[in-house]
Amino acid sequence: MTTPIIQSSDISKYFGSAIVLNGLDWQIMPGQVIGLLGRNGAGKSTLLECLLGLRELDAGSVRIDGEDVAQLSEATRARIGYVPQKSDLFEWMTPRQMLGYFKALYPRWNNAKVDGLLARWGFDPLMQNKPISKLSGGEQQRLSIIRALAHDPELLVLDEPVSALDPVGRRDFLRELIDGVIERGTTVVFSTHILSDLERVALDLAFLRDGKIALQGRLDDLLEGARRVVGPAALLDKPLAGELRRQRAADGTVSVVTYGGVAPVSSGKDAGVRVEALSLEDLFIEVTQ
Amino acid sequence: MTTHPAHLFSIATGSSEPIYRQLVDQVKRLVAAGQLAPGDGMPSVREVAQSLALNPMTVSKAWSLLEMEGVLTRRRGLGMEVAARTGAGQNAQERAELLRPTLERAAMEARQLELDPDTVLSLFTQILKEQA
Repeated sequence: MTTPIIQSSDISKYFGSAIVLNGLDWQIMPGQVIGLLGRNGAGKSTLLECLLGLRELDAGSVRIDGEDVAQLSEATRARIGYVPQKSDLFEWMTPRQMLGYFKALYPRWNNAKVDGLLARWGFDPLMQNKPISKLSGGEQQRLSIIRALAHDPELLVLDEPVSALDPVGRRDFLRELIDGVIERGTTVVFSTHILSDLERVALDLAFLRDGKIALQGRLDDLLEGARRVVGPAALLDKPLAGELRRQRAADGTVSVVTYGGVAPVSSGKDAGVRVEALSLEDLFIEVTQ
Repeated sequence: MTTHPAHLFSIATGSSEPIYRQLVDQVKRLVAAGQLAPGDGMPSVREVAQSLALNPMTVSKAWSLLEMEGVLTRRRGLGMEVAARTGAGQNAQERAELLRPTLERAAMEARQLELDPDTVLSLFTQILKEQA
């Protein structure tokens, strides 16, 4: 049994009197590529920040490679890459200066990778010497990604990494993630609302709801194991195996979402009970609302 | 004997069908139709992953399943190729089975529209003739 690279146990986080994380347990294994999903305001950024020790916990603990995140060693810190949702880049610096500054902090800085990415992602010499504050949102996000990838991290945490990128920029980023990151066996944890990108790269998914991981699994298993059963209330009065959510419409029709139950996708032959497969978008809506 | 390019394949996101499953079904259809012939080289996992912007594990899972089912075989050295047909090859019955997932989806929608089987079948017959 391998040990988790991130082990969070019973973590809680309050903002004032509002509870954002509520006794959350989450394990991430080395080499996993895992997408974190949840509604706006569900606490995804807070959770990612807590995992990296960037926020103090009100309860519980997070360990990365067995070390308490509140006191990470320099060696462990140097193996982590992080793309925050809001760019925290040094806005008065130029991309060149900023990358030079970070290069001095990381022993394993990969010059060839940085130069390659700058060239491929449109950072010509003019742009490399412009103050970061003068770059567009998408350009700042690309720069933030380059900085996070530059030291070939073993753990990469990305918070909405493509929110400011256009479809071409997103595809470039996905290709880099596939070729330069996933192929090296890097553990990747990322939050996103762009489900189509998620489907392409994530092998595992975790849904955050009510301050807890509400559902977690292999993406393929989730798609193959989730079902929506729809029919008249009289036929669906008992709880179904693996029931996640149940809704009753005004006309008395009941809709039940199950995961890992036995219901095969089927016809309307069973006296009006219909069983449907779900797309990731359907599943997102059913699990997170 | 050709080696097929990675862009022969395509996938759709937003489907209830997992991506590895889409690739498996697509390869089977191409083999059944003869577009992928026995001995033809398959693009590598890495090529397909890059071309379609997919996690290589997903492509690898599809290729492994196809190998297990005897559709593909591992080449000496690197890569996979389309397996030689066993026996007389796939008969019409087996090829028709490959249509099942698509037809099941169509059948579900037909029921939602409350169409009777005769109406649906005559529409399908008409579509088949149009394409021919």
